[in-house]
Amino acid sequence: MIGFAALAMLAGVLVGLSRQINGRLALSTSAMESSFWNHLIGLIFITLAAMAFGGLFAGEPAASPWWAYLGGPVGVIFIAAGSWLIARIGAAQTAMLIIAGQMISGVVLDIILGAPGNPLARSIGVALILAGMWVTRPTRNRD
Amino acid sequence: MNDTPDAPRLYHFAAAFGAGGLLSLMVLFNGTLAAYGSLFFASWVPHLTGSVAALALLIWLRPRRAATVRPPLWTYLGGVSGALTVMLTSATMNTALALSGTIALGLAGQVLFSLFADIRGLFGLPQKMPGPRDYLSLALITSGSLIIIFFGGAS
Repeated sequence: MIGFAALAMLAGVLVGLSRQINGRLALSTSAMESSFWNHLIGLIFITLAAMAFGGLFAGEPAASPWWAYLGGPVGVIFIAAGSWLIARIGAAQTAMLIIAGQMISGVVLDIILGAPGNPLARSIGVALILAGMWVTRPTRNRD
Repeated sequence: MNDTPDAPRLYHFAAAFGAGGLLSLMVLFNGTLAAYGSLFFASWVPHLTGSVAALALLIWLRPRRAATVRPPLWTYLGGVSGALTVMLTSATMNTALALSGTIALGLAGQVLFSLFADIRGLFGLPQKMPGPRDYLSLALITSGSLIIIFFGGAS
């Protein structure tokens, strides 16, 4: 259990590591080029891993709805945005604002899709996140 | 006055928040793929279509290279770290940690690493010392996220 917890935390560290490395690549090239290399190198890596472990086309992948295939292009913009932002507002603020956006849009998506949930907890959570964003908002006369 | 072109602006702020929204869509799309196909497939497909889409955007927009000097080779390896993330989370999601525990611990790992990365200026990115406002903001956003993750679902 502690081992799995460490792995779950490591996954978060790897998200930050990936953004840091892509951000450095974008400093020498461009945000879009860093996103391209991130996807291509990741593709090669996953292809090799899938060849080693097998089961890439297991299940019924052809049965999934067409819109489920749109994650790739969305990811291109997401990675490019992260690479562009990290050198400008820092790793911590990039991470915190992305998490804030993910959490709040996640709640909105859940409500639109009709996923059951606790309205009170959702409201308190969203309010705390909005307060956190307010505290760190950029103003002209700060510092 | 902190009004240099490099100072964080509202549009940076909005872009990062919007990127978080894109991440929610990715989780929905890729998660749906994983419901029909294998976990490898759910990560392989977006990397494949993403490579094509990024190449098309590069050819179309032709962004200017920021430096003429080639960056070190290791800077091209960010994608390996990202691909490993998918495999790790797929592995831990199916343990007693479940999805909520996996997301919460991943969030903690990401926040701690990004603070450390800023303080040290890791991998050649600008060094940035977080101030009291940054820590307060971090505490508020993290606690709000944890409440949504652990109590926001079906009760």
